[in-house]
Amino acid sequence: MLQAIDLSKRYEDGVLALDALNIEIKEGEIFCLLGANGAGKTTTINLFLDFIQPSNGQVLINGIDASKKPLEAKKHVSYVSENVMLYGNFTARQNIDYFARLGGKTNLTKEDYYMHMREVGLQEIAFEKKLKTFSKGMRQKVGLTIAMIKDAPNILLDEPTSGLDPKAASELMQILQQLKEQGKSILMCTHDIFRAKSIADKVGIMKEGRLVMVRNRKEFLDDDLEKIYMDYMQEMVSAG
Amino acid sequence: MIWHIAKKDFLLNLISARFIVGTVLCLLIIPFTILINLDDYGTRLDEYHIKTVEAKNQLEQTRVYSGLRPVIIRPPNPLSLFSNGIDGNVGTRVKVDFGNIPALPEGKASQRDNPFLNSFMSIDFIGIISILISLLALIFSYDVFTREREDGTMKLSLSKGISRPAFMSGKILGIILTLMPILLLCYLLSIIIILVSGHTSFAPDQWVNLVFLFVFSILYMLVFILAGAFISSMVKQSSTSIIISLLCWIWFVFLTPALAKNFAESLITIEKQDNINYSLIEINREFWDNLHNEVSPRIEKELGMYDRDRSYWHASGGQDGFFETSGTARDVMEYERRMKAETEPIRIDDADKKWIIVKNRLDDLYRQKRLQKNLLMLSPTGMFEMIASSLCQNDEKALDEFMEDVREYRETLIRHFETNEWFSDLRYITAQPEDEIASTNEEKNRIAATGQVPDSWSNQNNPVLDLEGVPMFSHASTRLLPVLLHQSLLFIILLLVICSVLTILIAWSFNKYDVR
Repeated sequence: MLQAIDLSKRYEDGVLALDALNIEIKEGEIFCLLGANGAGKTTTINLFLDFIQPSNGQVLINGIDASKKPLEAKKHVSYVSENVMLYGNFTARQNIDYFARLGGKTNLTKEDYYMHMREVGLQEIAFEKKLKTFSKGMRQKVGLTIAMIKDAPNILLDEPTSGLDPKAASELMQILQQLKEQGKSILMCTHDIFRAKSIADKVGIMKEGRLVMVRNRKEFLDDDLEKIYMDYMQEMVSAG
Repeated sequence: MIWHIAKKDFLLNLISARFIVGTVLCLLIIPFTILINLDDYGTRLDEYHIKTVEAKNQLEQTRVYSGLRPVIIRPPNPLSLFSNGIDGNVGTRVKVDFGNIPALPEGKASQRDNPFLNSFMSIDFIGIISILISLLALIFSYDVFTREREDGTMKLSLSKGISRPAFMSGKILGIILTLMPILLLCYLLSIIIILVSGHTSFAPDQWVNLVFLFVFSILYMLVFILAGAFISSMVKQSSTSIIISLLCWIWFVFLTPALAKNFAESLITIEKQDNINYSLIEINREFWDNLHNEVSPRIEKELGMYDRDRSYWHASGGQDGFFETSGTARDVMEYERRMKAETEPIRIDDADKKWIIVKNRLDDLYRQKRLQKNLLMLSPTGMFEMIASSLCQNDEKALDEFMEDVREYRETLIRHFETNEWFSDLRYITAQPEDEIASTNEEKNRIAATGQVPDSWSNQNNPVLDLEGVPMFSHASTRLLPVLLHQSLLFIILLLVICSVLTILIAWSFNKYDVR
């Protein structure tokens, strides 16, 4: 379970990037955070991963305070970044092996890696190819394999569909759906309202560091989520 | 976990362009350097053999005690193939002269410059290693954190629950593992070339010194790896890091050692050699004035030789006290014997007076060297070269110990002369058998008039000295490793302190490093 309790972050330059965020993502739930650039989505992820310290509030991963016991907390979370760069001179399998071992999975075989890569839909021919030859979609799949191999109960995704073609994005959504069915708590930060709508159990809209709206699946399907989101965006543009 | 990160970096580095370029550079430059040094060492070894044979022959041909002035040649050290030290600045030949206490070997030593000050631009193995390895260390470490941040892999790695100190240690260990084969290759390649060339071999203690040299090379490499990593942990962009790293490299590898030499030369002034020579000439002039105006007239008076003819049949001599005569009448020989018996102790006393002047200058040269050494504490390269020069026994201490041994030998030889009363012995000036010496000048002239002078009237026909029992100089065994290490202890400790401080700084800096 992922929890943010009154979570705030003010940077050294005085910018309030996150203002009293409260979210809770239960097992088997996908929470999509929507918002424009600078709304505080990535800051939230960075706080969950202890890359930055909160100015106020708490970040809990399976009940463990991520800022107080970061190493312990990170055992229970996987992360997929916006641009999965990895090591270009390593093959997909070598990259997965490296990060799997970093995550404490030291007893996996080559076949295990192949199996996971098949699960995310990576072509067999790519398994032993150097990552520098991969498209962004393929790299994203490798990134997802890395996250899946860790088999953590919580997954954080930062703009995972950014730059992916529709087919690759759709495949990614299918995988996330499978992970959700396995009982993972998933927090996905995205601009992609259509993908969010298709997969999320809850959607939150962030604006200038504040969570201005949260809707569960039933609510945002009944309401016109696109319109609500565009209205918020429009408000921002007008204010700007 | 640390090992796992290190292994990953090692494997990635192995297939990187910088590793290939670094290895190729080493493969090209190191053999070239060693071959040049081998050629130079071969020349110096040949010179040593020739000069040693010449000195031995000269000594064995000596017929009179006044000619017994051994020449000592300093052998080249096989370890100079690795570090020239100050060997290239000084000569190798020392004449044991009773009229002078030797300060430095004769030869290449410049009369005006300080031979103890290293220029740090000499082409030797250690010079190349200090430039190449420090550059490679920085090239591999300048982006150790920034590259991972730029590629986004640092976020992913740290999200896996690995601690920052472990990540940092793994990254640094990875660079060490990458550079170790290059460093090892440099050493092995050099040793193989040296051994295959057949010019020299190493004694067991020299092998130990080489091992320690390798260990200190690792320490030196580590300093630059840590420095690069520290710079990388302080900035966000690799482009910023490489600029700062290269500036540091130029400062520590080239500028600081060069400035240390220049500062040492400007801050401590050395008495001009011309002024020293003038003072020495003055003492010599007083000696000869005393000899001609006081000692000689007095002895002539005592021997009643004022009005007598004092001609020599065959005589040769020199400024260093050497005098040999044959065929000369006994009374003249007695005069010369008395002269030597009285003036040689004065010559030895004058040598002590001259030594005070020479030693003052020598002390200044050593003061300059000490100042240079102190200033070199500001540069890891300077420190490394000092340690290397000490381990290869080409530093000023090795030279000073050699010269101290020569001076001690000179004292021993003088004591031997005094104990055996050789200064007052007729053999000091002639090797002619006593029974063949004409008793008076008239008798000498009479024999000469017959045209049938004995062979012994010619210096070269007389017997050479029996050198058995005469003290001979023996080269002291090389300094022991503990002594060498003790002499460089300050530099070794400093390098270790720098490594520790840099590690702490990296840990502190990387702990608050913004991985975003």
